[in-house]
Amino acid sequence: MKVKVLSIPVQNQEKALKFYTETLGFVKKMDVPLSEQNRWLTVVNKEEQDGTEILLEPSPNHFEPAKVYQKALMDAGIPYAQFNVENTQMEYDRLKSLGVEFSVKPTEMGTVKIAVFNDTCGNNIQIVEIL
Amino acid sequence: MTFYQKEINRIKGICYSNKDQIQIAIGTRNYMENNFDRKLNLDLLSHIKFTSKFHLLRLFKKYYGQTPKQYLIDKRIGQSKSYLKKGMSVSETCYAVGFESPSSFSTLFKKKIGQTPTDFQIEQFSQSQSKNDF
Repeated sequence: MKVKVLSIPVQNQEKALKFYTETLGFVKKMDVPLSEQNRWLTVVNKEEQDGTEILLEPSPNHFEPAKVYQKALMDAGIPYAQFNVENTQMEYDRLKSLGVEFSVKPTEMGTVKIAVFNDTCGNNIQIVEIL
Repeated sequence: MTFYQKEINRIKGICYSNKDQIQIAIGTRNYMENNFDRKLNLDLLSHIKFTSKFHLLRLFKKYYGQTPKQYLIDKRIGQSKSYLKKGMSVSETCYAVGFESPSSFSTLFKKKIGQTPTDFQIEQFSQSQSKNDF
């Protein structure tokens, strides 16, 4: 088995695509129309486009437990997913300048430095720098 | 303060209160990051950090979740992928990332990546070629 796709639940796929590409810097990989307005929509790291894809999945709109779970994580400030970065402080400064809201400012936790931001689609996302 | 912020503070207090130990682990990793292409071993790493090799091994494993040797192998294999993608030969890549024998490099590469360095390089070239064709 191989890890090819990991999913993040989003409340609005078009809004999520805009945030994950224009703000975070991912690039769109797959965009397949499915039923109604839903799409199989994935993004990848710009420098590793053959790497693991992130599926921006509209599950909170169609499955009540997904909606409840996403909201509970958001309310508790718990990240749904995390991405590695070269420098947490620099990424924090860059994203802040683009208007991204952080619930955890750059914080050292032993051998990592983390920060947590709101992805505007219902999730907290953590960035991690290995020190 | 959110539940997660409280948990961060709680876990920091429990797991990461020993700053000296953390600095030894971080310093060791930084040294490996900057010198992965050289001959490295636990004796050298512990000598640099003024500690015993058994203590260093224990600390590194505690804070990074793998031994220095495992970390170094992953670093070297990751770097070798980058060199192979750029067209460096397998034997040149082997020495450039600090391995001493092309045959053991190929064996290790296959174990970690699932294909030999040669096959990996051929696949990379064919992928970039097919992108150019379209």
